[in-house]
Amino acid sequence: MALSPLIAELHAFLAADHPSDDAFNQQALALFAHQYQHNLPFQRFCQQRGKTLRTVKSWRNIPAVPISAFKALSLSCIPAADAERTFMTSGTTQKEVKGKHHHPTLAVYNDSMRRNFRHRFMQGSDRKIRMGILFPDETMLPNSSLAHYLALALREFGTPDSHYLLTEAGLDHTRLHVELARAQQTGEPYALLGASYSFVHLLDELQGLGKSFTLPPGSRVLDTGGFKGQSRELSIDEFYAQLAGTLGLGREHCINMYGMTELSTQFYDAGNATLPSVKSGPHWIRTLVVEPLSGVELPRGEQGILAHCDLANFNSVTTLLTEDVGIAVNGGFLLLGRAQGSAAKGCSLAVEEFLQAATA
Amino acid sequence: MNILRETAGYLPGLQAGDVAWQTLGFEAHGRKLEVAVPCLTDTQATALMDRVRAASRCYLKSLTVAEIVTTIDKAIARLLDPADPWRQKADTLLPLVTGYDAEMVRLGLTGYLKTFRRPQLQRFLVEDFGNPQLLDDFAPRAKGGFSKAFGADVAVHVWAGNVPGLCLWSLISGLLVKSGTVGKVASAEPLMAGWMAQLLVEVDEQLADCLAVVWWEGGNAAQEKVFFSHAELVLAYGGTTALAQVRQHVPVTTRFLPYGHKLSFGLVARTALDVRKALKTVQQAAYDVVRYDQQGCYSPHVFYVERGGRISPDEFARYLAHELSAFEKKYPRRNLALAEAAALAEWRQTEEISNLAGTRGTDVADIAGDGTWTVVYNSNLQPLAPGALNRTVRVVAVDQLADVIPLLAPHRAFLQTVGVAAAPRELFELAEQMGRAGVTRICALGQMTSPEAGWHHDGRFSLLDLVQMVDIESSAEAAAETLAPYVD
Repeated sequence: MALSPLIAELHAFLAADHPSDDAFNQQALALFAHQYQHNLPFQRFCQQRGKTLRTVKSWRNIPAVPISAFKALSLSCIPAADAERTFMTSGTTQKEVKGKHHHPTLAVYNDSMRRNFRHRFMQGSDRKIRMGILFPDETMLPNSSLAHYLALALREFGTPDSHYLLTEAGLDHTRLHVELARAQQTGEPYALLGASYSFVHLLDELQGLGKSFTLPPGSRVLDTGGFKGQSRELSIDEFYAQLAGTLGLGREHCINMYGMTELSTQFYDAGNATLPSVKSGPHWIRTLVVEPLSGVELPRGEQGILAHCDLANFNSVTTLLTEDVGIAVNGGFLLLGRAQGSAAKGCSLAVEEFLQAATA
Repeated sequence: MNILRETAGYLPGLQAGDVAWQTLGFEAHGRKLEVAVPCLTDTQATALMDRVRAASRCYLKSLTVAEIVTTIDKAIARLLDPADPWRQKADTLLPLVTGYDAEMVRLGLTGYLKTFRRPQLQRFLVEDFGNPQLLDDFAPRAKGGFSKAFGADVAVHVWAGNVPGLCLWSLISGLLVKSGTVGKVASAEPLMAGWMAQLLVEVDEQLADCLAVVWWEGGNAAQEKVFFSHAELVLAYGGTTALAQVRQHVPVTTRFLPYGHKLSFGLVARTALDVRKALKTVQQAAYDVVRYDQQGCYSPHVFYVERGGRISPDEFARYLAHELSAFEKKYPRRNLALAEAAALAEWRQTEEISNLAGTRGTDVADIAGDGTWTVVYNSNLQPLAPGALNRTVRVVAVDQLADVIPLLAPHRAFLQTVGVAAAPRELFELAEQMGRAGVTRICALGQMTSPEAGWHHDGRFSLLDLVQMVDIESSAEAAAETLAPYVD
């Protein structure tokens, strides 16, 4: 199928009201056929797994591509140079190879983000909210999908006075205090959105000064991405307890977004009053919990690795195998963090220790 | 499912009711096991150390090494008897604790126990001491004077898990040098040492206070300090991080013997690859991979295979894949925890994806296996590096085995066993070069996981490292002569 009718069909699917399982399947298989034909590294990957257009009859059988493949392979149906935008994973070191996700157009990503964000963070309302963003803007980080996501949130759902609280010089403390005090005085709802570790820096700042606020009703928080060694580490429970306590809002208004550069759709929870919170996505993304070696789907309630089939990923691959551990539950899944290397049991050298020694 | 229960440890002088217990859960082969491990207070730990020290001084040091060998031999004979209750317990529970196939554990344990029978122990003693009498009496030295080897009054051994019974090695070494032993079992295999202690006491009840088997949560600094501060010697098995942390808690004046994680591999010469011999060679290589799912320090991660034989290196890799798949039916790999399975999957994915990416240049690479085993083949020389364990092995084609030697230098601290299939002259040439590079053990393929009795673990002396030599110099003897009552 040519690209523009395929994209038009996708927009229609995103807009559909509760499409059937069969409709999801048809859409997924159409995308699989497109990607199998045009994304040659993916085709080779499928062939290596013994999967072809003939043998894949359900979205569940589409081979899940490990996210590490985005580092080594150019997973795209168009030449990478023709992409409107390429998002890259954030490597922690200069040397680290970054995963690249090429978007021929951002229209689908943006449509996916807007529909989902409106439903999950804006609670279905079209009323805009004053936003403070705890993350660099798109000019500072042009290849960050999160920077784009937050810019889109601010542009589409923020009042004209919405603003960035993170500048090249770091957290804008003055503006932060002014905004929080303003919200408290005026009663106008205020939303803070950004990386989880930036919220830890914010907490450190406010707690250091012994300050706390009471944000007015309707205010909320969106954090994403965990701490990644960029701030002190604290438990999720402590994090939300301190966030709620310092900003003076209920933990049910602290929403966590789970997304990744390699996807075009995000997952949200419905606040973090009780933990672990259930994450879920819109009708165009589905999640399987699989056994990592065989890729076989695990029964509900068993821990496994998350695999996502995201129909908004029309140009790369629909189905990704993550490195995240989760459990399928009613209404979504629980996210239990990264699969950590277990402590070596024997006395044979393990890769991790070897690498540590090699870099020491 | 009914749950089996077992108590770990051996605590002379302490009543079970006075000790706090923690439960470790195990599940494998469709059965559950709960093991109670002791959590001692500082006072209890100190009392235990004092008790073992006192008993080791008064009883253990009064025995001759021949008497100790007899006691160990009797205990080992019991464990080698399939009808013995201790052996039956081991055959039933060790597969549940470690997850390994029961038959693999049974065969492995028997082979291992055989290295502790009287003739093997005698060889072991002669290997280190020349004259084992040094352990009983001041014995005359060729240079003049006399020497005697004294074991520590009390030594603490910190054991690692997953190769069942690994702890017996150091427990028996300690006994042979008449050293009181307090051993800390690993959470991954908390049982064997306690059983062995109880069995030894059944054989010789006066040993009751000479041994103790304890447990604490790995990294419990307070407990480590208490135990180590009362010991003359601390032996520890584990990874670099764990050993570094243990070392922090050993007083400067206490001797510390660390046994770190190791990297082992195999070398296959073209002479071992004619049509008749190749099959045997491959079977032996596969056996070394399968034994204990590569968790041993001696387990191979890579086989370097020489070109020019009747069987090419890539054929060797295919044969190896076939053997591993056959072994999987006979001795299935243990079930992996999610994190282990995920780590293995990531390793496989990296191999698979780098093949697709075509970043290997002229290298022809192949990956085979269904996740219960994996063989990766490379036609170009690859650096020596660990695989993902649990039956993952790399076969690398080389023009000459000597090409491997330059790859060893960066890993000196980690090198241990090399399984070699080569003709005699080549074996000794390679041995010289590998010894220079830091390899400490060279053996036949198929024997990598079964070191000989009396081997030099990590190139060291298993018994000699545990003792302190006391010399009576010839001057003292000569001076004494002048003071004898019968001097003229």
